[in-house]
Amino acid sequence: MGSAGGGGIGVEFSLANLPKMLPGLILCAIFGWMALQWDATMGKWNTHFKEAEKVLKAANEGKAPANYAEYKQKHADSFAKKTEEFKAAQETYKAAKAAGDKSVKEPKKPSKPTTLAESEFNSVAQAKAIPGNLSFGNLMISFQLTYVAMLLLVGMLIRNTVGIPEIFKAGTVAARPLIKPGIIILGAYYMWSDVLKVGVFGLALVVAFVMGTQILISFWARRSKVDSGLACVMGAGVGVCGVSAAVAVAPVVNAKPRDFFYAIGTILLFGTLGLFTFPYIGKALGMSDPVFGAWVGTAILNTAQLVAAASWYSHESLLTANVINIVRVGFIPLIVLWAIYFYVVKPAVDAGHEGQKINVMEVVTSKFPIFVFGFFIMVTMNEFGFFTPEHRSILAHELLKLFFAIGFAGVGLNIAFDDLKKAGGTAFFIGVVSGTLKAVLAAIAVMAIGGDAFRVKG
Amino acid sequence: MSEQSTHDAYAEKAKSTFSAERKEDYFVLAVAAVTVVLVLTGVIGPTFVKSLFF
Repeated sequence: MGSAGGGGIGVEFSLANLPKMLPGLILCAIFGWMALQWDATMGKWNTHFKEAEKVLKAANEGKAPANYAEYKQKHADSFAKKTEEFKAAQETYKAAKAAGDKSVKEPKKPSKPTTLAESEFNSVAQAKAIPGNLSFGNLMISFQLTYVAMLLLVGMLIRNTVGIPEIFKAGTVAARPLIKPGIIILGAYYMWSDVLKVGVFGLALVVAFVMGTQILISFWARRSKVDSGLACVMGAGVGVCGVSAAVAVAPVVNAKPRDFFYAIGTILLFGTLGLFTFPYIGKALGMSDPVFGAWVGTAILNTAQLVAAASWYSHESLLTANVINIVRVGFIPLIVLWAIYFYVVKPAVDAGHEGQKINVMEVVTSKFPIFVFGFFIMVTMNEFGFFTPEHRSILAHELLKLFFAIGFAGVGLNIAFDDLKKAGGTAFFIGVVSGTLKAVLAAIAVMAIGGDAFRVKG
Repeated sequence: MSEQSTHDAYAEKAKSTFSAERKEDYFVLAVAAVTVVLVLTGVIGPTFVKSLFF
């Protein structure tokens, strides 16, 4: 993962570094809290806006309740009726389950109806005008300006205008990996059947597009006589996992420092552009939530950026993108092995020398991102019934957002234009062409496969 | 910078990066484990997150 993403490059986790990291971590926690508060407020105003529209329509037709008390009573009666129906359906479901009948579906508990506040109701029913704050909330949600967007945009704005004081820098970098505990606890939502179904399609996508990008760049560079070091770094970076993969393969191929930094700049620039544009492109193309999740899981270059883009779109997109990402990051050791073979062993053998022996196990164990085991443990625990629906909701919705908010604050505050300006030269050309090609082809592929293949049922 | 020293610098950078990422992974696994234990034991309940906001 890259330095604009969730990687560990920059600050090492240790107790000795804690005092250095604490101020920045606290800053990210405060930013995260503010953004979630924004999200909750905008969400509430948006649902109230929709309810206000219904009341307004009824008022215009002369069917609105006469006063607020009548309006509230109507909602309470409707909710009580739905609750009774739910209880009856639950009894039927229990009886059917006991008899071994699997055709009866588990009923969903009715959610409390949205009820306008008295002042809002009076404004709509009497003045026939929807309050400004509700319209504002609806506008923000329709522009997808959720907590994710706020943290990234405001963070980036702060970083590139007033800047971050030195005391906060280490902590804002250290906040980014807090996205990973969120990824792990999200595992409480999945059954193994989901992971395997989406994982198989994800594997096909990763092999086709991620490995494909690496291989395409390798051959393209060889034909165009581009330096092998640059080609390998770009292939790993654009294909797999941003800066981490680029750092992993740079020593294998003796990449030149200038090319290496151009490559890193290009990877960061492309990832950042993808993060801010893909959610809007997805909406414009009418991508369903699972399809968008599959697309960003394949086309965006690192974990933090793709998790942010998928969360920006919807929770269902995140569920799909998370599985594809787990498959993708598992490919880092394979990319390093490919680089050793293609750039070191094969040229040596072709030149008649004895090829360097590869210690496959050493590469795999040292480069494999072990946090994914935490995700697998969570899925297994869910499969064995450790989590109640309430546990799942707390872990995979509420606490997940807390972790993500702190992590995204760190991501936003570390998007520096100065880093992005380092993109350049041949690296820029290779990165933009191959990254764009990968994104376009991946979009076509996931849309052709369709949402059902990528849908996580939970 | 000679080829050897460039190689050594990258090798060192790659080694320190992956060492830091491995430590980071242990840290996030620990954070996730503690979180799950707190939820399963009921220390973090359904009202916890809601109570943090207005």
